[in-house]
Parts: sequence; structure tokens; C-alpha cells
Amino acid sequence: MTRILKYRVRVMLLAGLFAAAFTLTTAFAPVAQAQSKDPIKIGFSMALTGALAGGGKQSLVAMQIWAEDINEQGGILGRSVELVFYDDQTNPKNVPGIYSKLLDVDKVDFVVSGYGTNLIAPAMPVVIDRDIVFMGLFGMNNNGKWNYEKYFQILPAGPSPAVGFSSNWFEAVKTFKPKTIALVAADAEFARNLKEGAVENAKAMGLEIVYNENYPPRTADFTPIVRAVNAKKPDIFYIASYPNGSAGLVRAIAEVGTDAMAVGGGMVGLQYAGLMSGLGPNLNGFLNYDFYVPEPTMNIYPGSKELIDRYQKKVKDEGLKTDALGYYLVPWAYAYVDILGKAVNAVGKIDHDAIAEYIHKTKFTTVVGDVEFGDNGEWTQSRTIAVQYQGIKNNELDQFSQPGTRKIMFPADIQTGEVKPFNSLR
Amino acid sequence: MIMRYKFEIGCVAFLVLAFILTQLGLNRFFFFAGFAVLQFIMIATAWNILGGYGGYINFGTAGFLGVGSYTSIALIQWSNVSIVPQIIAAAALAGLLGLAIGYFTLRLKGVYFAIATLALAIVLETVVNNWDFVGGAAGISILPTRKPELLGAVIVDRKIGVFGNYKEFLFFLIAGMTIFSVWVARTIEKGKLGRGLNAIKDNEEAAESMGVPTLRLKLIATTISGALMGAAGGIFPSYLTFIDPLTAFNLEFAVYSLAMPMIGGTFTWIGPVLGGLLLGTVQQVAIVTISSELNLLILGVVLVVFVTFAPHGLVGWFMKKN
Repeated sequence: MTRILKYRVRVMLLAGLFAAAFTLTTAFAPVAQAQSKDPIKIGFSMALTGALAGGGKQSLVAMQIWAEDINEQGGILGRSVELVFYDDQTNPKNVPGIYSKLLDVDKVDFVVSGYGTNLIAPAMPVVIDRDIVFMGLFGMNNNGKWNYEKYFQILPAGPSPAVGFSSNWFEAVKTFKPKTIALVAADAEFARNLKEGAVENAKAMGLEIVYNENYPPRTADFTPIVRAVNAKKPDIFYIASYPNGSAGLVRAIAEVGTDAMAVGGGMVGLQYAGLMSGLGPNLNGFLNYDFYVPEPTMNIYPGSKELIDRYQKKVKDEGLKTDALGYYLVPWAYAYVDILGKAVNAVGKIDHDAIAEYIHKTKFTTVVGDVEFGDNGEWTQSRTIAVQYQGIKNNELDQFSQPGTRKIMFPADIQTGEVKPFNSLR
Repeated sequence: MIMRYKFEIGCVAFLVLAFILTQLGLNRFFFFAGFAVLQFIMIATAWNILGGYGGYINFGTAGFLGVGSYTSIALIQWSNVSIVPQIIAAAALAGLLGLAIGYFTLRLKGVYFAIATLALAIVLETVVNNWDFVGGAAGISILPTRKPELLGAVIVDRKIGVFGNYKEFLFFLIAGMTIFSVWVARTIEKGKLGRGLNAIKDNEEAAESMGVPTLRLKLIATTISGALMGAAGGIFPSYLTFIDPLTAFNLEFAVYSLAMPMIGGTFTWIGPVLGGLLLGTVQQVAIVTISSELNLLILGVVLVVFVTFAPHGLVGWFMKKN
């Protein structure tokens, strides 16, 4: 290189370094220390794009409704509430950076989790390192490894979440007096935990496990898996899957068929409005988990129906591109920030030790009923319900907002239908 | 004498600057984002040793990074080994892998070599997907040691440590590793190895006939390139505190590692540094501002613009202007 070129390249290199340093220090410049009149900032990552966006978007709207409500009631500690969030793209890799930015640059007062086990897992080391309260939204046993005392989680799967999540499904299938079971799970944190719990429940019921396999998360064609399961002739077929896999498996079973009497269990995504209307009658017969469905006995959660009505109106009025129904996550996403707000107001100051201690010892009344957390931050009792898809005639979305398409099979005290063999509903 | 070693003096000065930055009590996110930018520069520099100087397009960057990352995870799971031995082991294993892959694939040329290296990442990802000891497909979270020690001295502690927090320590480590990588790349470029690789890039048969030991040079290049990528991967789990196969073997790394030298210029060590600096910074800003998968679109647009208007990268564009 000529001397002049060398000089210019060096100047360019230095200019690049300065530009990078300037961008990093100004774009992410630390904001002023929060003053007492400043809003209370609650930060989180959320799956607004990617595989879990169907749940992430409805959660965000629910949290925004909560922020409106709490601000109308005077906010937290007399300060208004502001939500600060970033799209994690359903990519765990992005999560540590987002929480680092929330805590160090946005200077949020609290962080709560994004939606889903796989997105909570990478945030755990960050919050544990900062020793702060962390509310989780639908995490499956995320605290099992850490036993972090300031973690609280709203998925109502009970103190032993992996087992509690599927216990009601196994209660519901007892009608068929099954002897053999096949289990299939996506090779991801949530689904694997779920299947491990299902294996424990199956063993407790004395079932013979004839098939127990994981499939890679990127699987596109599920017909070979369904054929492999069918070859083992199981009485019941337990599936733990994420939205893409759930849709693929429903379609594969519609194509290949199965003689299993009960199919489903831990299929995430079948609760999303888009997938329900898209899959339509193909869903008939599936017996799956859920937490809230528009059945008359669901009045055990006072205020949840009104909240969902508000959500649906907001989505319609504002033309939001998110789940039109919101049954799956809206009450729970509202509740997990509501509990945090109630705890902070009760403690009267931002003291994470005191807030965690308060949450541990308090029974909270929320839109998802009374909530108590155990030592590991999980619910003290499971409230997962087993529902069966019945009588779905077409792909119209409206039918899913009426009682009758997702009947509750267990627990018995809120049961609204009789569980029927899978093929009798096809 | 000083002029002769001015590059080395500059390297030491940058390292001292990195250390001083960690002592200023800057916002922790500065170090988080800075780490990502420096890691990009290191990856680009490592890729350029084979791809830029030797003309062998390596699509297996994710494979080497993943081997580095999972070597660290395996060592943590096995005996909670501290970070420096993790990085050394990661570099050694990825270097050996580079040597082996080089031996088996360097007889392939052009697109066939690129496909073979791409397959490497996919094969390794499948292996890790089915290896439960390191978390399998579900991935694994790790919590860095609260007060790591080195030779009896506390490295990270707010009061008595050399660094106030772990992110500062990692930033300093990656700064040192990046500077070392750039020094290695420049040394290769200026030496016999670089000239030999350039000859291979221009016309391998002609180089061979002129007595250039082509296979040996290519093996050295794949080993060094692999080792540096492995080192960059070895530190990755401690930075992210979570690793899964999709993250560690993400083909985005292959695209970025190729794009950065292309944007900066592949024929000199400054090219990957500039490309890494530019793309690394843009990516960090995009993640928290645009905050969606759109940041990949930015990469695509930048690449198209450079391939069209500056096919020899920023450095080439400046050379042309002068």
C-alpha cells in the first residue's frame, strides 16, 4: 500500500472506532437516575416475532391493559407505571443482551420475564447475578436448577410443575383404562420437561411406555413420527410440542390417522386463535391442556371474563394484529404483573428482598383466582385443565369463543363434558 | 527500533486502553455490546486467514464456534473449570478440528469446499442435539463464578477484584484475544505464509509448480483459523450465560463471518477489523432499536450495496479512489 493510502486507512480505522464508541455510548447512554416523580419502569423481553409471537403479542396487550388500570388507580408507590420492552424474536440468544440493556441503560426498576420457558431460561443467570425479583410468564420448571428465592412464576402447574402440568390429562384418560402409552416431545426445554413429568405420571398409572422419543425443533414433516407411533399401537398418545410442531402433528395425524384413544396432552399453540381457526375440524378429538376456556364453569376466576372482553374489544377497535380471542394468556399475563404491583405497593418501597419475602408469604387475589407461591416460586397447587376439542364444524373463529368446542374434562368440579375416544369425534 | 515495532506497540496500547475502560465504572451494557463487536472482529479476522488470504470460502464458522462453546460447556459441566483454561481448550480442540477438516477437505475447491464446511456445522449441531451432558437440544444456562481467582488474586469483585463485574472481565479478555488475532493475521499477511496463501488464491497449480507447499500452508491456515474461531466460541457461554445448539451453531455466524471481511476488504488485516466494527455496531444497535428480525435485512442490504459498489470492500474502495 502507498503511504497516502496507509494514512487514509488508518484515519478511516480510527474514525470507525470513534464512530462505534460514539454510537454505543450515545445510543445507549445511561439515563438519569430515577427521581421519585419519574415513572416506575417495568422491563421485559417479549416474543413479538418468531414461533412464540402468537402468545407474546397477546401477553403484551394484556400487560398494557394492566398498566392502564394501575395508572388509573394511582400507579405503584404513587408513581405511574411505564412498560419498557424489546422483541426477543423467540430467540434465546437475544435475551441476555435485552435484560442487560433494560437494567443498565433503561434503568428499569423491575424486570419480568418474556413468554415461555425457553425465553425465561437465558434471563435467569442475569437476574440472579443482580439479585432482583423476577416474575415468570409460563415457565416450565425454570427454577429447578437454580432454586432462586426471588423467582415467581404464573403458570398454574403446581409445586412440581413438570408432573403437575399433565396430571389432570392422565386423570381424564383413566376413562379408557389404557395399558400402553406413546410419548413424543419437541427437543426443547419446555417440551422435554413436560414429557419427563408425563413419564412419571404414566409410570404412576402403571402404563407400559411403548414409544418415547424427541424430535428436532425444526422438523417439518411429522408423518414418519406418527407412523412410527402407530406401529407400536399405543392406547394413548401423549404429545409435548411447540406451536409449529403442534400444527404439524395435527395435520400429520389427520393424514395418517391413529388408533390411540386419547391424543394430545402438552401441545402448545392449539390454544391460539390463529391455529384453532386454521386447523378447524382437524382438532376434533384432541385432548389437550389449557388454563382458561369459555365454558360456563370457568367463573371460578372472577374478573377474567370482563378482562378478556376488554382485550377482545381493544384488539378489534385498534385493529391490533394479535390473537383475536386471548383466552390462553391474557388473564395470566395480566396477573403476573398485577401481583408484582400489589407486592411493591404493600411493601411501600423498592426493596427486592422485602418484596420477595412478601410475595412468598401472601395469598394474592387476582383475575386468575387466588395465587400462592411455594418455596421454589411455583404455584402451591396445579390448576391446569384437560379439555377436549369437540363439535368443530368449520374454520370460523367465532365458534371458539362459544362454549362447547373445548369442553373441560378434568378437574371434575368444573367438568363440562364427557371425554370420548379420539376417533369417535373425527 | 520503535518504528519497527509500532504495530505491536499499538496492540499493547489498545489492550491498555481496554483495561482503562474497564476501570472507569462505565455502564455495564457498554461492555456487553462492546464484547459482541470485538467478538465479531475476531471471527472476521479468523475467517479471513483462510478465506481472504487463501481464497478458500469457509461456511463452517458456526461449526468451529460451536465446538469452542461446547468445549467450554463440557468443561464446566465436568469440573467447573475456570474461563481461561476453557478458552485454551476450546482453541486447541477447534484448531485440531481445523487441521482434520483441512486434511480431508482441502483437496476440494471452490463451491465444493464451501459445501463441505457447511456440512461440518450441521453434523456437529446434530451431535450436540443428542448429547444430554451438555444440555442437548434444550440448551443450558450457566452462572459464572461469583469471585473467580487467577494465581491467587481475585479477578472479579466490586471491592477487592481487578474488575468490578464479570462483564468488564469478559470485555478485557475478548479485547486481548481480538488484538492477538489481529496480530496473528497481520503477521501471516506480512510473512511467507501470507505470500504463499496469496499465491494459492491466485493460481494454486502455478503456486504448486513454483515450489509453494500448498497443502502444508492450507493446513496451517485452517488450523490457525479454526483455533481462533474456537477461542471466540469458548468465551461465548460465559458471555451469554445460556447456550443451545441453535445459538452456538447458528448459520448467521457463517453469513456474518463472510460478510464482514467482504465489507471491509479481504486482502489486508484492516478489512475484517473495519467490517467487524461496522457490522458488529450496526447489529448491536439494531437488536435494541429496530428490535426484530429486520436486523438480518440490514445485513443483506449492506452486503448488496458493497458487492455492487465496492466489490473489494472499504479498503479496496479507498485504494481505487487513490
